[in-house]
Amino acid sequence: MKIELNSEDELDAYIICHKCHTLNREVLIENGSKALCCSQCGIVLYHHDNGFLDRGLALSISGLIFFIIANVFPLVQINILGSESFISILSMIDSLIASGYYLVGLFIIYLIFIFPLMIFLLYFFIFYLMKRGTREILVGNLLILLARIIPWHMSDIFLISILVAIVKLLGIADIHLGVSFWALIIFVLIDIYFTRNIHLRELWMLRKQVYQLSEEEAPHVLG
Amino acid sequence: MYSVESDELISCPVCEAVNIDKRQNNICRRCGSKIYHHRSTPTEKSWAYLLTAMIFYVPANLYPMMIIEQFGSESGSTILEGVIELWNHGDYPIALIILVASIFVPIAKFIMLAYLLISVRNPLNNNTKINKHKVYYFTELIGPWSMVDVFVVGILAGLVHLSSVKIVAGAASTAFALTVFFTLLAAHAFDTKLIRGSR
Repeated sequence: MKIELNSEDELDAYIICHKCHTLNREVLIENGSKALCCSQCGIVLYHHDNGFLDRGLALSISGLIFFIIANVFPLVQINILGSESFISILSMIDSLIASGYYLVGLFIIYLIFIFPLMIFLLYFFIFYLMKRGTREILVGNLLILLARIIPWHMSDIFLISILVAIVKLLGIADIHLGVSFWALIIFVLIDIYFTRNIHLRELWMLRKQVYQLSEEEAPHVLG
Repeated sequence: MYSVESDELISCPVCEAVNIDKRQNNICRRCGSKIYHHRSTPTEKSWAYLLTAMIFYVPANLYPMMIIEQFGSESGSTILEGVIELWNHGDYPIALIILVASIFVPIAKFIMLAYLLISVRNPLNNNTKINKHKVYYFTELIGPWSMVDVFVVGILAGLVHLSSVKIVAGAASTAFALTVFFTLLAAHAFDTKLIRGSR
């Protein structure tokens, strides 16, 4: 198939599906709907959502709040034969490092603490700067950083691991779930919403749209 | 005025922008990242990571994953022993989760990545019955899930720290974490543009 272009920027109208690598052309769809790839792979290619920016900003702030709660309070508390102990995310890493497992401790601190925190901070700054319509180049750099970190965060997998660990302890200990556990569940749900509904490509397209608009508006403001 | 064949379009691995493949020194028009096109060593980097991961998988299965110290006596269990123990206890769903996450997922990833790496350098590449892009997508999707066991051991070691019972992480947890880390790197280093003839 031959494609005629006036400039390379017109390629923005095309999408290569990241699952089956077919080439698709973006068409205008209704607000609130989404476009799927071929019937075989059924992956969402893009959404049309007018409230994208505001919802993203609001959710990234709530994600950060729940992340802080999840890290400050105890996750799980157990009681075996009268002696009690509890863990929080940070105390767990601390005890791993204290018992000599530096490498595992280091991995875990990155995968479930530093990267998730960075991702939500990045989402927050990206949405905030685009909302204000300033710092186009910075937003681009933040988006590149975001793309590099996203494959490395594992909060959802950590949540499943907590459940597995709890089931393993069910027979031998009394278990109380802490505030952090519920906060972590909400954090992971927000995180899943983000990965399902906010594609990097859409953020780049939003960036293009936002800064083109503000460039066109600028003379009016001055004049 | 440009005129391009659709085969010549590639997507940037960082920002997913569609780019024209210029055969060498591809730089994404939107984010400026390099789109790799290693002419002489296209698969070597990914092979190196994959082999490292496979090597670490051996001690990960031989050494104990978790050591339980109870009233002075120590008992360690490897991944497979842990699964069998859970199964005998009647915790079937948990046994299955651990079995799939720590044994099936890494092995499936080894096989799929090795298949991809071999097939792109071979006449097998012209076989279009299997969509290799989908195989690659699948390896990326299941990859991180093998961390479950490492997290579980971390949680239990942090939690059960009492005078009567103590759980300590075993040597296998480090090896296993490294296996997962290197399989993820191997998948990232794989150049999807080597897959031909599927569009």
